[in-house]
Amino acid sequence: MRGSAKVYRWLLRLYPARFREEYQAPMERQFLDEYRETQSHWARVQIWQRALLDLASSIPKQRVCELWLDLKHGMRAYRSRALSTVFAVSALGLAIGASTGVFSVLNALLLRSLPFVHPEQLVELWMPAVGPLSGRAAFTAGIRQSAYLQGAAAFSSSEMNLSGGRDVLRVKVAETSANFFSLLGVNPAVGRTFLPDEDILGHNSVAVISYGLWQQLFDGDPHVTGKLLHLNGQLLTVIGVAPASFDYPGTTNLWIPTIFDVEKVPKRGAFLMQTIGRLKPGVSIRAARELFAAEIRHLHPPFTTRMSADERNNPHITSLQTQLAGPVRQAGWALAGMTLLVLLTACANVAHLLLSRVTERRQELAIRAALGASRARLLQQLTVEAMLLTMTSAVIGLLVAQWTCTLASSFVPAQLAAQQYTIFDWRVLGFACLVAIAMGVVFGSFPIGLAGRTRTTVNSMHSQQGLRELTPKRTRATLIGLQAALTVCLVTNSLALGRTFLHLLHVDLGFQPASVVTLNVALQGTRHYGHGEWAYYSEVLQRLRSIPGVEAAGAVSHLPLADNIYMAGSFKLDSGQTMQSIVTNSVTPDYFRAMGTRFLAGRDFARGEWRRSEASVIVNEAFAQAAGLGDRIVGRRLIAPWSRTTPYRIRGVVGTTRFGGPESEGVPEIYWPIQEEPPPILTLVAKVEKRPESYLALCRDAVRTVDSQVPIYDAKTLQRRLTEALARPKFYATATSTLAFLGMLLAVVGIYGSAVYSIAQRRHEMGVRLALGASQRRIRAMILRESARPVLVGMVAGVILAVASERGWESVLGSAAGVTFWACGAAAALLVSAALLASWQATERVLSIDPAEALRSE
Amino acid sequence: MSKPKQDEINRLLPLSLPVFHILLTLMEGERHGYALKRAISQRTDGKLNLGSGALYGSIDKMISAELIEESEERPDPHLDDERRRYYRITALGRRVAEAEAIRLRDLVRLAETHLKLPKLA
Repeated sequence: MRGSAKVYRWLLRLYPARFREEYQAPMERQFLDEYRETQSHWARVQIWQRALLDLASSIPKQRVCELWLDLKHGMRAYRSRALSTVFAVSALGLAIGASTGVFSVLNALLLRSLPFVHPEQLVELWMPAVGPLSGRAAFTAGIRQSAYLQGAAAFSSSEMNLSGGRDVLRVKVAETSANFFSLLGVNPAVGRTFLPDEDILGHNSVAVISYGLWQQLFDGDPHVTGKLLHLNGQLLTVIGVAPASFDYPGTTNLWIPTIFDVEKVPKRGAFLMQTIGRLKPGVSIRAARELFAAEIRHLHPPFTTRMSADERNNPHITSLQTQLAGPVRQAGWALAGMTLLVLLTACANVAHLLLSRVTERRQELAIRAALGASRARLLQQLTVEAMLLTMTSAVIGLLVAQWTCTLASSFVPAQLAAQQYTIFDWRVLGFACLVAIAMGVVFGSFPIGLAGRTRTTVNSMHSQQGLRELTPKRTRATLIGLQAALTVCLVTNSLALGRTFLHLLHVDLGFQPASVVTLNVALQGTRHYGHGEWAYYSEVLQRLRSIPGVEAAGAVSHLPLADNIYMAGSFKLDSGQTMQSIVTNSVTPDYFRAMGTRFLAGRDFARGEWRRSEASVIVNEAFAQAAGLGDRIVGRRLIAPWSRTTPYRIRGVVGTTRFGGPESEGVPEIYWPIQEEPPPILTLVAKVEKRPESYLALCRDAVRTVDSQVPIYDAKTLQRRLTEALARPKFYATATSTLAFLGMLLAVVGIYGSAVYSIAQRRHEMGVRLALGASQRRIRAMILRESARPVLVGMVAGVILAVASERGWESVLGSAAGVTFWACGAAAALLVSAALLASWQATERVLSIDPAEALRSE
Repeated sequence: MSKPKQDEINRLLPLSLPVFHILLTLMEGERHGYALKRAISQRTDGKLNLGSGALYGSIDKMISAELIEESEERPDPHLDDERRRYYRITALGRRVAEAEAIRLRDLVRLAETHLKLPKLA
């Protein structure tokens, strides 16, 4: 009996507070009466059954009813303070939006699984001893013996020409081992993937195409298998179509099982072979590294001698997910940190608003408490009101987050961005709601700590003493100090990043990106490949030069900003001096003129110069400086590693170009005349009069008239390539300055609100002071002093925080963001002046105090 | 107390079955919750057996609609548990119950005509 009563009483606690207060006692009584009146066990079981059904249907009903009442009440209350409510809601909305957006990106990059089977088991590894270069037999045997790998697949990416459909296309091809798809656990959308033996020589003339390519080339024909394609001239049979969401690695359009037969499809230059593996179940990455090191010791000396000590001791095994997230990983965390600061600042503001609302409604709360409303009831109502505020903010936040995600997708690394991942998903929605609910609960229960005291103040509702008890000064000062500290930290970081970005905009690239059109052509698989390259290129250049408005046209094998893999080697000067790691590039005459690269000494290649008995080269300034010769290097001779007998004559020195863009450094470089060994792929460069965008189509058409079967791709202005290279630093600078602006705005409003609030609270005290002869100026000075104190303390804390966060940014940007004395000082000065201005504005209200009226209110 | 207007009454119609039964029972005099429940159960032959959640949910709604009110008069506290609450019908409650009865009567008449049922005595 007693047990049943206890359980029933406990269940009644699920009713909302008001209903419970009203009806708990009679309901309990009724249950007990009924229970007592029955004797048999079966009848009691039935009573319980009925009671549970009754509770299950009526509790939710009452909850909804009471929630609706509280919401109506809350909306009425907020309407009376519309302006500050709108501000707090939108500030919090922006903060939730920003943090949700950043969280979405982090989620997509770091937390979400890759679209592969058991992605946590996938690793990227580097095994020089048994890598794909050692051949299929050695590779598979090596993997089979491994104590930590279930399997491993090798692949290498390159761009190739594809014909077979309507047009000739430039596509991204992954040459893989046969088990590539099975290792990742990817099933085809149509047909099949590679059979286990299809990477053996003679069996590998097959291809799996991407979903996009299937649509583009074959209009999604379900009978695509068996169709033929020409890849760089090699005939291949389509065996399957990859699923729509799959294009790993990078933006691959086509997969062929030729990794152990790299000669099969002709291609140019260096290519990078990569190995991905699947760890055995239960083997961690750390354990795999230890097992790797142990295996290395048992390998035959010929293998181990190929490896450096570092490679032996620090095996390269990283989680595929970490590898794909790349450099954005740290930036993502840093941005998340900054967004969190803004979120905290916004929270401090909302706390302010609710705090002042509780004080304003002290009479209402005190009366309700006196009339018997329990603490739980008041807590429930305040929580619902706070939730109303935060949930509205969450809705605004979601809209902002959609926008943030679109913005953020511009800096997601290509490997992930291309995989057609939807960044925004239901987990993000969950996150936003969680933030809103957590804030609602915190903000709801935070003022109740103060409202709880209303019972004691009910008798002194009108007294200023009672009022002061409700709003501890220290809490407000702490909130202001916190906002000040966070804002100084935000502003300092954003100033530092902004400065870095400005620096990047003004850096000397070694070329003039304005008014330059660039486009790539690739000859593999065309009739020009192998012997007619130069004839084709010179014809194309002639056509380009004949376009009215084109001032100069040239070509280069590796264009700056194009993110190419390029070759480097050692060269010897006639003095005997050896130059290490020299980047080699080949250009046509007029290339430097088209690019706006200055000649510091000597001259450009003359047309037909390569036919001379003594071949010419041009070096850059960095090369001349590294050789310690400066301009005197012109006329000197150079021995290339591949031609020990015939030296090259250095004809000129050009300015150093920053190959990888403004963030990279210029490196020593040698330029060859392109005619000497015309590459199958190159970039055509044309300097035009003005508005290069309008010349893109003209140039493309001119090239196409020479041979429409040659694919032209990546036709872009050089300025656009530069903008793309700057996209990431620009994003960081924009994001941080937006966050800093938001933080600053929130802090200023917080400080203003606090000062206004403080004056309103102490109206009586000020009335007394004024009546006793204190001047309004003195009172204003007093309020300013009081407002400034927490700001100054917060400012010092903020500077310390900013200096501490510098290291974080250093790792993000690769160079010091430069949290300098200057940046700290500027941020602090900005905040203090804004704070003083806000407080000064707020103290205008002191002027409106009429001492007589203020005293009468007592 | 001013007379309730017809609009106000019509706005509250139709009544839910528990509400109508509560009003009918309270017409006979003040009752506490459990007594109400038992009376309703008896007069409906056990067909309407209100759980306490449903009962007090209806009571709560009826109090806010001013159909009933809590009675301050209590029997001798020695004879009664002070946790019990007594309710009585208000003037509005009476008018609403009457209006509901008329509504139901009209409905039954309409059904009788259409279905050609033999008229009740």
